[in-house]
Amino acid sequence: MTFGFSVELDRHKKKWMTGQSRLFKKMASNQNPISAIDMLTSALRSNIIPNQEYLLQGSVIDSSAEVLHNRLRGLCDAAETGPETFHDHEMCFSLKASSPGGTPQQQQSFLLRVRRALDHPEYPWQLRYLGQPELGEKNQPTVLRSCIDIACTPNVVEFLSELGCRIEFEYVLKGYLFRKGRMKVTMSKIFRMGQAKSPDSLEAMTGSYLVELSLLAPSGQDAVADEIKVFAEQLRPLVHLEKIDYRRLQSYS
Amino acid sequence: MEDFFTNNSVCVSVEAPAENLVQEIAYDGQEVFQLPLTLSENLTKQAHKIDWIIREDDENDDDTLSATVTTEKDVEEESKKADFQTSSWPWDSVRNKLRSALTEVCVLADVLVIAKDKRYMVLDPVQQEQPDQRQLAQLFSKKRGLTAAANILLHGAERLKISQSDTARAKSNQDFHLELLRLRQSWTLKKIGNSILGDLSYKSAGSRFYQTGIFEVTKSEDPNLGLSTETTSENQPKQSMIKVTIPTELGGTSYIQVTIQKDQDILCTTNLNLLHTSLIHSDHSLDANPWTSKLEAAQNVLFCKELFSQLAREAVQLQAAIPHMVVGNQITASLFPGIQLSIHFQSSYSAGVNKRQLVSNSTSLVAKVDHNYILEHSLHQLLRQVHLNNVGQPVPHPSSAPLGPTKRRRLAGPHAYDRDELLLMTKNESILEQIIRQGQHVVLRLRTMFVIDSIAREIRDPLIISHWNVLNSPTLSCVKIIIMTHGYDTLQRTALVVHVGEKTLKCVCRDGRVLHMSYEPQELRDLILCQISQHQINAVQSLARFLGWHVASSSAHLGLGPVEPLGNASSCILSSPSGNRILSVRCGPQAAQPQVYLSTYPRHDTVKNKVLKDMRWEQLNTRYEEVRLEKIEGRNFLSRMELLMASLTCRPPMSWE
Repeated sequence: MTFGFSVELDRHKKKWMTGQSRLFKKMASNQNPISAIDMLTSALRSNIIPNQEYLLQGSVIDSSAEVLHNRLRGLCDAAETGPETFHDHEMCFSLKASSPGGTPQQQQSFLLRVRRALDHPEYPWQLRYLGQPELGEKNQPTVLRSCIDIACTPNVVEFLSELGCRIEFEYVLKGYLFRKGRMKVTMSKIFRMGQAKSPDSLEAMTGSYLVELSLLAPSGQDAVADEIKVFAEQLRPLVHLEKIDYRRLQSYS
Repeated sequence: MEDFFTNNSVCVSVEAPAENLVQEIAYDGQEVFQLPLTLSENLTKQAHKIDWIIREDDENDDDTLSATVTTEKDVEEESKKADFQTSSWPWDSVRNKLRSALTEVCVLADVLVIAKDKRYMVLDPVQQEQPDQRQLAQLFSKKRGLTAAANILLHGAERLKISQSDTARAKSNQDFHLELLRLRQSWTLKKIGNSILGDLSYKSAGSRFYQTGIFEVTKSEDPNLGLSTETTSENQPKQSMIKVTIPTELGGTSYIQVTIQKDQDILCTTNLNLLHTSLIHSDHSLDANPWTSKLEAAQNVLFCKELFSQLAREAVQLQAAIPHMVVGNQITASLFPGIQLSIHFQSSYSAGVNKRQLVSNSTSLVAKVDHNYILEHSLHQLLRQVHLNNVGQPVPHPSSAPLGPTKRRRLAGPHAYDRDELLLMTKNESILEQIIRQGQHVVLRLRTMFVIDSIAREIRDPLIISHWNVLNSPTLSCVKIIIMTHGYDTLQRTALVVHVGEKTLKCVCRDGRVLHMSYEPQELRDLILCQISQHQINAVQSLARFLGWHVASSSAHLGLGPVEPLGNASSCILSSPSGNRILSVRCGPQAAQPQVYLSTYPRHDTVKNKVLKDMRWEQLNTRYEEVRLEKIEGRNFLSRMELLMASLTCRPPMSWE
C-alpha cells in the first residue's frame, strides 16, 4: 500500500508543476539528483500545499432544498453539464494516544476520516485529518481548520486497524457537489448505515440537507475568507451559512 | 261714536297738571313755584315747536308711510296736494292718500268685474314689442361660441395626437426593448454607463485569446436596415430597431483552409468555415434577426484568428525533424517526405457584394476538390477542447477530495507512479501536432485505399474485396481485405486486417502473423500479392480435398525453382484418387497465373529389359508436362483446376492391361 500526496493544482499553481517538471528533467539528466524529501520540504516551505480549510456550514429543510439547488445551479460554474451527484461512505477512526503519566481519562484521541466514493469505485479513497476548528474573532467570517487530504488505496482500513485505530462511527452522504472557482459547495443528506450493511439499507438521519461551503488554501491566505463570505451572502435568504461552534454543540448533547 | 265711548269706557281726562313745577325750595321750607306760562309765552313756546324747514320733508315721509300702490302720477299729485295744503292735522295727508288708494282699488275691482262679464269690456293681449334684432351682436356671440367649441375640440385632438405619438414612440421603444431581449437571449450583454456592450468572444467558454470581442448595441435611427441593393425582395431581412457595431478587426468573414499538397498538387482541400453552409445557403428569410448573421460572422472571425494564432505559436515553438514554416497567413508543415500540410487563414473584409462572389468562388472550389470534413471539424474540436480544459476542472469523487487534480493525477499517488509516468502526464500535445497526425493518417488512408483498389482492378482471378470499418478514429482506421475466388468462396477465403495508423500500417493475417509496414505503398502491394499467391495454392489444396485428390505435399515458401523477385513462391503436389496422376502447382507473387504440371504413370516409355524385370518399375511417374491452363475452359484458375482434376480422375488405372 502506498501513500502519496495529491496536491491541488489549479491554474495559479501550474507554475509549481512546471517547476517540478523542470526538476524532473534535471533529475533525468542526472546533473544534481534531488531526493524526494528535499522536494517535499521545499514544497512545504514555499507554502504551496493547501492545508487549511475555510468552512461555513448550514442546513436547509427538504421542502426548500429544490429551491436552493436551483439557486446553486445558477450561481456556480459548469451550469450546462449539470451538478455532480456524489454518494460517499465515510468512516471515522480514532487513535487513542495516551499521554505519559496521565490517567486514562486524559487520553487525547486523534481522529482520522476515511472516505470512499460509492458511485465511482475507480477513484482512490481519501484519508483526511482535520484539526481543531478555530472560530476566531467576530470579524473572521469563516471557520478555519487545518486539513490534510491524502489519496490512498482501499486497504487503508486494514492499515489503520493494524495501527490501532478503532472505528468510531460511519455514515453515508448523498447529495450534490457544486464548485465556483476554488470554492466547493456540497448539499448532502446524511444516512445511517443500515444493520444489514448493504448500500441499499439506508435511513436518513434528518429531514434536511447539510450545506457546506469550503475552500482549501495554503495557510496565510485570508483574503479567500472574504470570497466565501460574499458567496454565502448570495445564498442568504435560502440558507444561512455560518460558523458553527462544535464545542457548544457537544455541551448540549 | 262719542256715545259709544261715554257708555263703555272710563272717562279719562287729559289735562295739564294744576300744580306748577317747583322751582326751588327755600331754606325755610317755602316752595317757590314756577309761574305758569302766560298766553304769549305759551304761544312763543308752541311756535318754537314748529319746525319751518322740514315741513315738506315731513310730507314726503308721510307718503311712503301710506304703503299703497300708487303710480308716479299719484305721487306727483299727492306732492302737489301737499304743497297746497298747509296741514294743521298731521294725519290729513294720510287720510287723503288712503282715500285715493281706496278709490283706485274700487275702480280696479269694478273694471275687473266688467271685464269678466265680457259684455262691455274685453281684455285683449297687447303685442309685446320685439326686441331689436342686433345681428352683428348675434354673429359675434355665435362666433365666440363656435370658437370656444372649436378650441375644446382642437385641444382634445391635440391630446389624442400627443398620446398617439407617445404610443408610437413607446411602441418603437417597445420594439427596441423586445429586440434587445431577444438579442440578450443569445448573446451576453452588459450595460456600462449609458451604452450597452456585448461580448461575442469565447472567454466564458475558456478561451484566453488576447482579443476582446466587444460589440456595441445602439438604437438604430433608421428602421430600414436593408442589405445592399442586389438582394432580392424575398431576401430582405426584417427591419430592426437595433444596430450592432462590431469592432473593425472582426469585420467580414474568414475561414481557415487546410490543404494537403504533394509537390504542388492538391490532394485534398479542406475549408474550415463555420459559416460555410450558411454562406452557401444563405437564406435571409429564415434569419429572423438580422444581427445574428453579423455577430456570428464576427465570432467566426475571432475563432479563426485565435485558432490560427495558436497554430502559428506552436509551429514556431515545436521542433520537428523538418521545421514548420510560418509565412504571413500560412503555416506549412511536412507530413511525409514530399507531402505538406498547409494551413491558410483566409479573411475577407468585404461584406455584401464581395461576400457573394466569395461564396461562388468557394463553391466552385468545392466542386473541384473532394471536401474533407474531417480535418475541418477536428481543428474546430481541438481548439474547443483546449477551451474546455481551461474551464472545466474535474469534480472530485469522494467529495472531500481537493479540487483541481485530474483523475489520473489523483491516481498517481496511490498507484505510485514513477518519475517517467509523471513526466508523461505533464506532456500535452499541441493542436498542431494533433492535426499533423490526423493529416498523416488521412494521407496514409488514401494511399492504402488507392493501393487496394488498384490491385483489385488489376487482378481479377481471385477477387479482392475490402471492407473498411465504419467506426474509426481520426488517427486509426481498419480495413479487412478478403481474397476469394468467384464461385469457390466457401472453399477458401484468405482474410487479412490492415490497421492504418498515422505513419505505419499493421497487418494481421489469419494465420496470426503481424506485420508492421511503413507508409510506402509498395510494401502493402507486395504483401497483398504474396497473400494472393498463397491463397491460390491453399485454394487448390482445398479443392483437391473436395474432389478426392490427395495433397502429397505443399510448401508456402518454396526453395526450388527460379528465385522470385518478390517474396517466395508456393506450391503443392496433388495426386489423384487412383494415384496415377500427379499434379504439381506452383504460384509466385509476380506470376500472372500459377503454373501447373502433370505427370502420369505408368510410364509408357519403359522398356522391358533384363535389368528392370519387376512390374513395379512401371509404376514410376513420367516426366512432368506443363498444362496449358488457358486452353482449359473455366472462368478462373480454380474452375480450370476443377475441370482438370475431374477429367483426370475419370480414367481408372489399368495396370494389368
